[in-house]
Amino acid sequence: MSSPLSAPMGSLGVNLPAAIVVGISLVIGLGMVIVFRYTSDQKAIHVAKDRLKAHLLALRLFQDQIPVVLRSYGRIVLATGRYLRSAFKPLLFVIVPLIFLVVQLDRYLGSMPVELGHPFLVKARMDNPNALNEASLQLPDGLSTTAPPVHVPSEREVVWRVVAETSGEYIVNVQVSDQTFSKRVVVGACLSRLSPVRLRGKFWERIFVSGEPALPENNSIKSIAVQYPPRKIAFAGFEWNWIWLFFVLSLAAGVLFKSILGIEI
Amino acid sequence: MKWCKTTSLPERRRLLACLVVLGIVLFHPLPSHAYAGPGAGFAVLSSFWTLFVAFFYSVYAFFAWPFRQVFRLLRRRKAYGKAQIKRAVILGFDGMDPELTERFIAEGKLPNLASLRERGTFRKLQTTFPPISPVAWSTFMTGVNPGKHNIYDFLARDLTNYLPYLSSAEIKGPKRSWKIGRYTIPLGGPRIKGMRRGTPFWHWLGEAGIFCSVIRVPVTFPPEKFAGVLLSGMCVPDLKGSQGTFCLCTTRPRGEKFREGGVRVPIERNGSSFSSYVPGPENPLTAGSGGEMRVKFEIHSDNRNQARFTVDSQSFTLKVGDYSEWIPLKFKAGVGFNAHGICRFYLKELSPNVEVYVTPVNIDPGKPDLPISHPVTYSIYLAKLFGPYATLGLAEDTWALNEEVLDDQAFLAQCYANHDDRERMLFDALEKTQQGLCACVFDTTDRVQHMFWRYFDEDHPAARDVPRDQRPSVIQDLYSRMDKLIGRVMKQIDDKTLLMVVSDHGFKSFARCVNLNAWLHQNGYLALKPGKTESGDWFDDVDWSRTRAYTMGLNGLYLNLKGREREGIIKPGADADALKDELRHKLDGLVDPASGHAGITGVFDCDSVYAGPYVDNAPDLIVGYGNGFRASWDSVMGKVTSQIFEDNLKAWSGDHCVDPRLVPGVLFCNRKISDEKPAIVDVAPTVLKLFGLALPGHLDGKPWTVAPSTTP
Repeated sequence: MSSPLSAPMGSLGVNLPAAIVVGISLVIGLGMVIVFRYTSDQKAIHVAKDRLKAHLLALRLFQDQIPVVLRSYGRIVLATGRYLRSAFKPLLFVIVPLIFLVVQLDRYLGSMPVELGHPFLVKARMDNPNALNEASLQLPDGLSTTAPPVHVPSEREVVWRVVAETSGEYIVNVQVSDQTFSKRVVVGACLSRLSPVRLRGKFWERIFVSGEPALPENNSIKSIAVQYPPRKIAFAGFEWNWIWLFFVLSLAAGVLFKSILGIEI
Repeated sequence: MKWCKTTSLPERRRLLACLVVLGIVLFHPLPSHAYAGPGAGFAVLSSFWTLFVAFFYSVYAFFAWPFRQVFRLLRRRKAYGKAQIKRAVILGFDGMDPELTERFIAEGKLPNLASLRERGTFRKLQTTFPPISPVAWSTFMTGVNPGKHNIYDFLARDLTNYLPYLSSAEIKGPKRSWKIGRYTIPLGGPRIKGMRRGTPFWHWLGEAGIFCSVIRVPVTFPPEKFAGVLLSGMCVPDLKGSQGTFCLCTTRPRGEKFREGGVRVPIERNGSSFSSYVPGPENPLTAGSGGEMRVKFEIHSDNRNQARFTVDSQSFTLKVGDYSEWIPLKFKAGVGFNAHGICRFYLKELSPNVEVYVTPVNIDPGKPDLPISHPVTYSIYLAKLFGPYATLGLAEDTWALNEEVLDDQAFLAQCYANHDDRERMLFDALEKTQQGLCACVFDTTDRVQHMFWRYFDEDHPAARDVPRDQRPSVIQDLYSRMDKLIGRVMKQIDDKTLLMVVSDHGFKSFARCVNLNAWLHQNGYLALKPGKTESGDWFDDVDWSRTRAYTMGLNGLYLNLKGREREGIIKPGADADALKDELRHKLDGLVDPASGHAGITGVFDCDSVYAGPYVDNAPDLIVGYGNGFRASWDSVMGKVTSQIFEDNLKAWSGDHCVDPRLVPGVLFCNRKISDEKPAIVDVAPTVLKLFGLALPGHLDGKPWTVAPSTTP
């Protein structure tokens, strides 16, 4: 599934992933401070921060009094703990939805689709190493293998090296005995929703790393993975992993909006 | 103010559920940890940077400490080498009266002071001429008479126009400014000049490497540099630059102007809500044109007993009879020109009229626009540690009670709120000053006695209609409260600590007012312009060309001296001396015809009570009023009335601006002091001697003989 914005933004010379990260960071930064404002005890946070500052000032004011300085260090640690405790509840409200949002964004921004003409690996992991010989890969038109499958018994994996001849979204099938299991593969340069692995069971792991339905239970395949290259986003003269760029920009946006809105964080 | 919030059981369950969810999400062993993202980033950055700063500062402090020690040794600052004590704790209770104290001790109401007297010392402490707080505390800290520290009253007079000015500090605008049209851009901060001379003894201690924490000792504004921390006390102005201007916001039609200390501001009705404003300082950008900066606020009445206030972006709810916490105010003059203050709102009435009392706008200790501490960060440190606190020198709003804007309960609540803040500061200073000097002055004793003596006095004119059995025991409660404070302090100190409890003066009733200007007028020493029988404030309508003497302020009487005053007529020398003698003889023993008591029991020549380089600035005579008398409110403000004696009907019903011999202070000490007649001027040399320092030659006080520790 490619983004409908990819083509028009690309034709305008806009770095679409960077633009998306910037936009999302601003929105998230703003939303986060507002949620923080209404889910936190602003006064308690204000007091906790003030106490921290007071103990820091004490270090300077009473610098020649070693016992006072040592006590102040201890109080700084305690005050930091109190601050974190005050910030904990609102952070829950912020972090939990943010994690799921970021997971979804990572489907689009974390990796790039397979490049045309560049070989990539399709890995099927089995329950039983004896079943490796029974696994075969069925490819649609446009994809082809470039080497015989490699069995890695220690990992219980069979690995195929595949290359794409045309861009597009493909379904590859792995057949074991009389059962067939599919996996989506995206080829090209567009901004698409990618799922690097399809898993059996493992609910939480699927939530965080997979974008496809679970493999059926009671079969011999544990996972089918496609190795997508990581995406690097050019921004401000650096190549960024999108998470770091998002981290920095949303933090900056949060600081900006908290100051404008007078919110204590 | 409560900083801690307790959590209920449902809240705890919700918190537990949240913890479980977070645990599942965050501690599941996946790379998704990184997805905690900016939320956690804020927490980490906002908290752990302090640890980083603390760590790097500790490294710096650790390595710098030996160099600082060497530096001290090189400058021969070997502290404590000859000290007899490790620490001196001085509690100043402004106005604590020795006679009352003895009486309450005898009644068993002050067990801790009784214990101090038993184990150590209790004496009457001779005060200064005149016995006024700024004078006496200046002497306390400098160890010299007023002729050497230049403080003779709250007010001094401008010789060029006979108008008063604050004797302790002068605040002027910035030295340079840039005028653009009708705007004036100030280039630099305000100029503040301290008028008190002499050197506080903590300066010498600091020089010797002895750390000092000094809290709210009067006449320490502007704060002077020394090796220690200091929070300025009495004489710190409010944000308007006055000594405290309260504000009464009201829907009532305009009444009479307040005599002093306050302004009325109208409250406008806007549908179901009300709006008004807090007046602030003059706009520095339009200086001179009278433009006052204001902060607007709104009142939304929830019911007849409760209202919601909105001040800028802050909102709070008050019931009738409740004070708000300290509310920060930002007076905006223009881009980059803001004045930061704090005030408290008190909801007086919601129906049928709306009335709100607003305290004077104090300088915000967390963002001080004027220096109120040394170092500047000390006031910020205290504000961060304890929250905002009163910074105004005369923080307890006696004028508001005098003008009946506040009632007794509201005034007391204000006093004790400030007092509680002061106690917190004291105990923090005690903890931080395990070696050295810790001095803290409490004003509550003075303010409460000033305002509640009427209930204590048998027959005070301001409380004659209050039956004796309905009079609150405010002063007894006050002394008991101070005693408990002393008890808590005694638990904090060891036998190497010297504890001193001192007051600058005692207290007496102020039942009758004496208008000395009226007496001078009626006896031919002060002349009014033709056709006038009374003057306005500050000698309006006084004919200076025929005036030989005048009075302003609390105890000072001035000759209209040729070559000194602008329109002086008395020749210095023999004529002046003769006039002084004449006035002394006529005024000493002046009898109040109504009561038959002496309204004045002593008149003192400045040449006999003062010595030093600033004697020329002193009043020519110091008038010592008798027990129950004081200068009238009009006389203090340079007004001539037709009555010399009159009843004092104000809540301000006790005073100490009388004959100094009538109002000595107290001295309690946890060690035996052999001197029988100690004086407040002796405190500074005594402390210096106990710390093993040589006494500066100019000191007037003599160190007491203090016995070594007497551990029970």
